[in-house]
Amino acid sequence: MEDDSILIKRYLEGEEEGLKILIDKYTSSVYNFTLRFIGPLNTSDVVQEVFIKVWKNLKNFNEDKSQFKTWLFIITRNSITDYYRKKKSIPFSSLREEELNEDEIKDEAILPDEMLEKLQDKEILNKILNELPENYRMILALYYQEDMTFKEIGEVLGKPLNTVKSYHFRAIKLLKKLCTKI
Amino acid sequence: MDKNLSKLFKQVYNYSESRLSDDIWRAIQAKEARSLKIQSLLYSFVGILSLGGFVFIAISLKQQFASSGFFEYVSLIFSDGGLIALYWKEYLLSLVDSLPIASLGALLFLLCSMLVSIRKVIQQLKGKLLFN
Repeated sequence: MEDDSILIKRYLEGEEEGLKILIDKYTSSVYNFTLRFIGPLNTSDVVQEVFIKVWKNLKNFNEDKSQFKTWLFIITRNSITDYYRKKKSIPFSSLREEELNEDEIKDEAILPDEMLEKLQDKEILNKILNELPENYRMILALYYQEDMTFKEIGEVLGKPLNTVKSYHFRAIKLLKKLCTKI
Repeated sequence: MDKNLSKLFKQVYNYSESRLSDDIWRAIQAKEARSLKIQSLLYSFVGILSLGGFVFIAISLKQQFASSGFFEYVSLIFSDGGLIALYWKEYLLSLVDSLPIASLGALLFLLCSMLVSIRKVIQQLKGKLLFN
């Protein structure tokens, strides 16, 4: 598959196909990510809105500042926020900036096998994830589904690296806690 | 990274929306076509307006040249070249003074705006042809 920057260059040079390939490549990722926050009813509309914003702003995209995927998820996050704003609820402020505990900044947090087995059930996983605060859910989705690094997640969420690491640690901790309750 | 958790996330959230990407592409194409249409209309309007202005200013400029004595000054070059060579500074000043500068500036501006509009309309039409 062609590199994103080559596809963007092709599109900006007048080849429509470049954008079409980018849309095909990322629609599922953006859809699956958005679905977790918005639900199936309005996800398609929000995803469409995301790609229309991408089309409108692709000329201004600066690949020296961030990767296309990171930029795309920043737009997605903003579109989800806009959606919540229209619905008059605040999505990503459910967590206030807390004092960071250095012990919490760990890269790895592995779930035990029996918990993983429990989470294989889609309904259970959905139920647990829906109980997590939005920021925690977003970090888990970007880290485990989209294979983004903590640095990239920090760019998407507009948070420092250590805050992202701390949120990730707390998210796993909460996931474990909720898992044991079920 | 916890590979098991990553595998789990990817298994559970794996909705493939092949139709959605086609819908998105169609929506973008429709928006692009609409934007091209609006721009074409806008540039055509500006082009027509510039052409009208250009014709108007050109007629007025012809009259201004005639009334300012510019042509008489020019004809002096052929009839009395020696005198002009002697008083060339004064001659040049009088020649420049007889030029309708404001109208000439307006004419050049309208010409530029007309050419830019024509260029843009051609670009839009080319885009439309490629798009279709």
